[in-house]
Amino acid sequence: METYFLRSEDIFKFYDRISEDYRLYVPVRVKTPLKPRCECGFNLPVDDYAVKEYSEVNKEDVIFNEYRPVEPARTFFTYYKEEVCEYFSEEEAKKKRDRPLAIAGFKNCDIFSLKIQDWVFMEGVDADPLYQARRESTLIISGDCPNFKEACFCRAFDINPHCLEGFDFNLSPITNGFLVDVASKKAQDIYKSIKEIFTLATFGQLSGRASKRELVVKKLEEHLFHHRIPKKEALQDIVLSGLNSPVWAEQMKTCVECNGCVFMCDTCHCFLLADEPAGDKTKRVRVWDGCLMKNFTRVAGGANPLKLRSQRLRNRYLKKFDFFVSNLGYQACCGCGRCIDVCPGRIDIRYILRRLYEEKHLSADTG
Amino acid sequence: MKKNIYQPIPASIENIIQETGTIKTFTLKPAADFSFATGQFIELTIPGLGEGPFTPSSDPNVKERIDVTVMNVGCITSKLHMLKAGDTVGIRGPYGKGYPLETFKGKDILIVGGGVGLAPLRSLLYALFATIDNYNKVVLCYGARTSNDMVYKYLIPDWAKKDKIKVLNTVDIGDPSWQGHVGLVTTILDPQLVDIKNAVAIVCGPPIMMKFVNLKLLDLGFAPKDIYLSMEKSMSCGLGKCGHCRVGKFYACKDGPVFTYEELKDIHDIWD
Repeated sequence: METYFLRSEDIFKFYDRISEDYRLYVPVRVKTPLKPRCECGFNLPVDDYAVKEYSEVNKEDVIFNEYRPVEPARTFFTYYKEEVCEYFSEEEAKKKRDRPLAIAGFKNCDIFSLKIQDWVFMEGVDADPLYQARRESTLIISGDCPNFKEACFCRAFDINPHCLEGFDFNLSPITNGFLVDVASKKAQDIYKSIKEIFTLATFGQLSGRASKRELVVKKLEEHLFHHRIPKKEALQDIVLSGLNSPVWAEQMKTCVECNGCVFMCDTCHCFLLADEPAGDKTKRVRVWDGCLMKNFTRVAGGANPLKLRSQRLRNRYLKKFDFFVSNLGYQACCGCGRCIDVCPGRIDIRYILRRLYEEKHLSADTG
Repeated sequence: MKKNIYQPIPASIENIIQETGTIKTFTLKPAADFSFATGQFIELTIPGLGEGPFTPSSDPNVKERIDVTVMNVGCITSKLHMLKAGDTVGIRGPYGKGYPLETFKGKDILIVGGGVGLAPLRSLLYALFATIDNYNKVVLCYGARTSNDMVYKYLIPDWAKKDKIKVLNTVDIGDPSWQGHVGLVTTILDPQLVDIKNAVAIVCGPPIMMKFVNLKLLDLGFAPKDIYLSMEKSMSCGLGKCGHCRVGKFYACKDGPVFTYEELKDIHDIWD
């Protein structure tokens, strides 16, 4: 992988070149009235970032986001509701030949989570053709996090706030510009066509980036120290031994069943197939589903293994920290903290994991 | 173009048999040959309404037609019960893993069915009949709520006449027309039926029945790895993607729907 230096003022030449071939989405700042304060005394930024289509925003609004945008990267690969097929018709479904997507502003939490989405939609019995086509054609321009939000906790699970793999381009902000990693063939082709705006990264720039990255990691770990989130190796064990923990029912007292945590989650993937009449044919649509909804596991006849909200919360944690660890080798949580930000009931995954850990280990100590 | 994994193929309803007041068997003729292994399930589409998972009850060696036996309990099934011969439905699949017939070789096979749970077991019986030389014997214990709730009443006497096959029936609640045994299906599971040390048990029925049959089988001395259970879960895609049918570290659609008790025994609340 080669790394080049791009001057700040040339970033738009870079974006313009990409938008010739791709429908480019870039991060913009969104003002929010919500100001989550850090209880541990850290002075952390509170703004949010949205990802908008490059052709539809003013250039002065396009910024380099300090941390992940509000919506997860998976929203570009599976949509809230979309047609997956039409039946029974002889004609072949009209193929929409949209320009492929390019998405900028996503961070390592999103890149990590795409591994989980890839496993779900591209491995196993059969690959999902819609997801696969999008995944293969989309250009990913990731970025380092020079800062973090109160809810960010990627380092608790040893996920870095900067990317080393899984992207096409990666941008690292440094003095007067960016270091740009060119990782894929798609990215190399773009680089070659606008070589003149890049210079090879110097040793000084590279070591500058390395020390910046280290500083962010250090500051984030200090912040996380106060939250006492269990290590990733302990997760499966604590959710399995916490099956009867009081924490599930206690935390769900404030749940309003909006499923915001599910829909904003980077790693959640559940969906429901539903049919809609369309003239003399029928459209089959795929809509996002959420395991905190009361009918998620209801079967015909009315039996429902997850009747209580506490059972559904526990089910969600078992899926993330038991099912995925058993099947994939790692947890389906990247520490992006979106579920914490979105929750009107202030249900906090960091607190629940800590409680599960303490209930298992502290109660054993005291007998 | 890549095949679309969510697209059903049309199948026309050829025949409908009213099994009980709430259960019907539909014979479907798919637009193209359709093969499945016994124990695998299909997603059956009611055009415009949606789809649900059903395990075929017909002989897996027949490719042109599939039977499904369906109880009228919900939205899809009640609409299905309103359809008539000649109507078109959709099918997709087959999905999941079938019964591992290879591992049953040389063994006694005890099949325990409850109510409409006999449907997938009928397909298994046909598969066993076709390869009967491979097994010592097959014992079917079938329980239904009342004699009016029994399915395949017109077939069971013929099965009982076959070589190496034994059939025991029971009903939970007797009535004057019923001459046979009265009591839950667990009451006819006698240790003398099969050589337990060299036998497998296959159970399908409502969750509460499977729970107690499983306990009884363990009590009789069956090893957890020799008890095969069918897991009934909410399913949507059938492909291990939609996330509904998780059972511990498994998906019922992709890793099941048939599991050994050995696989399930450490998972909490499997009978709910």
